[in-house]
Amino acid sequence: MSHHFLDVADLCFAYPDGTEALNGVSFRLEHGEAVGLVGANGAGKSTMLLALAGLVLPSGGTVNVGGTILAKNTVGEIRKRMGFVFQDPEDQLFMPTVFDDVAFGPLNQGLSLPEVSSRVRESLEGVGAAHLSERPTYRLSGGEKRAVAIATVLSMLPDILVMDEPSSGLDPKGRRLLIELLKKFTHTRLVATHDLDLVMEACPRTIVLHEGKVAADGPSREIFENAELLERCHLEPPLCMQGKC
Amino acid sequence: MHMADALLSPAVGGTMWAVAAGLTAYSAKKLKDSPDESRVPLMGVLGAFIFAAQMINFSIPVTGSSGHIGGGMILAILLGPYAAFLVLVSVLTVQALFFADGGLLALGCNIFNMGFFPCFIAYPFIYLKIAGQNPTRKKILLAATLSAVIGLQLGAFSVVLETMASGISELPFKTFVLLMQPIHLAIGFIEGLITTAVVTFVWQARPEVLEASSRKTGLRGISMKKVLTGLALAAVVTGGVFSWFASSYPDGLEWSMARTSGSEELEAPEGGIHAILSSLQEKSAFLPDYGFRKAPANETETAMEEPAHWPAVDPGTSVSGLVGGGLTLLLAGMAGILLRRLSSGRN
Amino acid sequence: MGRVDPSLFSPSYAQGSGQSNRPDPRAFWIVTFAFVLTVTSFGKYEISRLTPLFFYPVAITTLYGVSARSLLRKALFVLPFALFVGLFNPLFDRQALLVVGGYAISGGWVSFFSITMRSLLAVTSAILLVMTTPFDRLCLGLEKMRVPRVLVTQLQFLYRYMFLLRGEALRMVRAHDLRAQGNKPKIALSTAGSMIGLLLLRALDRATRVHRAMLVRGFDGEVRVLQPLGFSWSRDGVFTLAWILFFALVRFVNLPEWLFGWVVGK
Repeated sequence: MSHHFLDVADLCFAYPDGTEALNGVSFRLEHGEAVGLVGANGAGKSTMLLALAGLVLPSGGTVNVGGTILAKNTVGEIRKRMGFVFQDPEDQLFMPTVFDDVAFGPLNQGLSLPEVSSRVRESLEGVGAAHLSERPTYRLSGGEKRAVAIATVLSMLPDILVMDEPSSGLDPKGRRLLIELLKKFTHTRLVATHDLDLVMEACPRTIVLHEGKVAADGPSREIFENAELLERCHLEPPLCMQGKC
Repeated sequence: MHMADALLSPAVGGTMWAVAAGLTAYSAKKLKDSPDESRVPLMGVLGAFIFAAQMINFSIPVTGSSGHIGGGMILAILLGPYAAFLVLVSVLTVQALFFADGGLLALGCNIFNMGFFPCFIAYPFIYLKIAGQNPTRKKILLAATLSAVIGLQLGAFSVVLETMASGISELPFKTFVLLMQPIHLAIGFIEGLITTAVVTFVWQARPEVLEASSRKTGLRGISMKKVLTGLALAAVVTGGVFSWFASSYPDGLEWSMARTSGSEELEAPEGGIHAILSSLQEKSAFLPDYGFRKAPANETETAMEEPAHWPAVDPGTSVSGLVGGGLTLLLAGMAGILLRRLSSGRN
Repeated sequence: MGRVDPSLFSPSYAQGSGQSNRPDPRAFWIVTFAFVLTVTSFGKYEISRLTPLFFYPVAITTLYGVSARSLLRKALFVLPFALFVGLFNPLFDRQALLVVGGYAISGGWVSFFSITMRSLLAVTSAILLVMTTPFDRLCLGLEKMRVPRVLVTQLQFLYRYMFLLRGEALRMVRAHDLRAQGNKPKIALSTAGSMIGLLLLRALDRATRVHRAMLVRGFDGEVRVLQPLGFSWSRDGVFTLAWILFFALVRFVNLPEWLFGWVVGK
């Protein structure tokens, strides 16, 4: 469906103390694209994600999700179409059991009990966590938490998936599982991350943020081969391209 | 300061449960009337915070022993009385279930003793009055200390009353009061100090937190200041008056209060122990020596004491009933008046 | 307060398997309350008549595969505090109450022993609740019994985040101790103030993040719950009724004396 696009135009945001976090960010994601969002700490990645979720009010610019402009009265609608996986799964798993957490979204959408149950089952299967359904959320390993956190969002059947540092804190196996999952998804994906190797593997396109602006937007390989760009934006090439090992 | 099931009678426990349940239902309704969805995670996390904060044991100046924070006042400051009360209910429930602090029957008492006084008396009428507007370090210190001290004094005194009214503990009223109140005075000071330290830290690091809280929770427009301060003082004074009252009576007061529930059970109290013993050991001539008394007059020693154990009048209707019932009514009545004032004061 | 039951950090309470065979949490709540009421309704000199009540923890641990040893361990944890609470009785009540083998025992000691027994019994019943039923099911039971939703949600969130925040506090204390003087470092009051203050700020930040996570999943203020509880009269009704009848029997019939009479051969 071609209306699953995300169009950000000239997005601006400043904190109450005046710091400008976003300085006119523009880009467009088409249906099914997998895009990595990279940048140094403080470049504006997290702020942009908050703005996309409608959790902070931009001071300028627009966010257009499949034809709906993000505004106070459309926030609910947008959140049905865009799923957000935040950085710390502990923040995202707040219900007593895994099942409850994954059911949270669909229940809020007003689905019937059998529908909710099937959504939960499918989402958990999709991330390989079906066996964790009855587990209390505080008794999960880091990788399990991450997988379940993704499931909590998948169960809402979003068109677009936005993730903030999904691989942080994962052991190698967990990270590998995550990368495989990302490659498997057909949703439009925007992954904000420091893990440049993950970007190389799972995101054909990359957007580089620097000081609240888009410094580069193109095929990942090209971007990571551009030494001057990386230097300017306080980045390095992915380890797999550094040839040091 | 937790009340324990072991010292509680079903009558007192049940009464306090009714009071606690009423307060809980009332607070829940108040929260429903002013919905705020950010409160759900906030209350939950702050409840968890209380448990976490209690792990930080600090050394108490001068004594060298260690203590930890209670946290009721901080909750009230951040959440306002109704939400803070519900958080305290949840904290006390988890303590009763997982930490064996108090018990399930005593939970009603504990909710009243440790939830009602900080949230509905100390916070609105002491803390807010002193440090609610334009807080300064000194104001915070005074407000927090006074709130903690008075809140704990009232709570501790309630424990005394509940214990006396239950009649299981032998502690005489006067002794109990002289034990509880001074200890909790000291605890109150410490709680005040640590609360001040925490509130000051938050106030300096992120003052907007306190500001937002007082805007959300501020009980504006409570005009019957004199009436209410008077009522709070009355509670403290009542405690003093009654301890005088009790001490001016002869020991008979305490003994009769204490002995009621024991009297009718003395007929054959130790059948069970001896049944066990007899099944464990041979049925030797040892057994008949137990001669367990069915009537008071078997052993001369015990016969002499019996009259004190067997009062002719059922003290349940006399002093213990009056004291316990009267004070419970007083406290409950205060609660009703104050809460009505709180809600009408908001308009 | 502040006493830490170490097993709380990795609660293996109430494992999921076999939950469907266990009574509905409502039945457990009711029976537990009835138990505590029975215990506390005895006169203060009662010792022997309390003894049949120990049958309850014994039965529950056996029926539902709860580790009796771990129950005992947790219950004995409480013992010192129970002893302290009753300790004044022997001091104030010195009138001899009964004679055992030539020795006079004062009423104070009798009631002290009674208090200790009550403590053990009451505590045991509470611990059994959480050892047989996962906490969130206990909460669901409460909700079905008309406890306000606000409070039930509060209990669930509190429990959920309790372990996390306690872990943070523990790490903070550890970090302090690594840089402090002496073998058993003590935290000064002012230091504790900033530590707790920091813990509070982090808790508030976490609450904000959790709130955000809830919002993006469509939260509107009402926490909707899916898991239904099934109260079956044949299983739960019988369970509740049977135990209540037993407690009533224990309360009103002097079973130990009857047993004594039977054993001695009256």
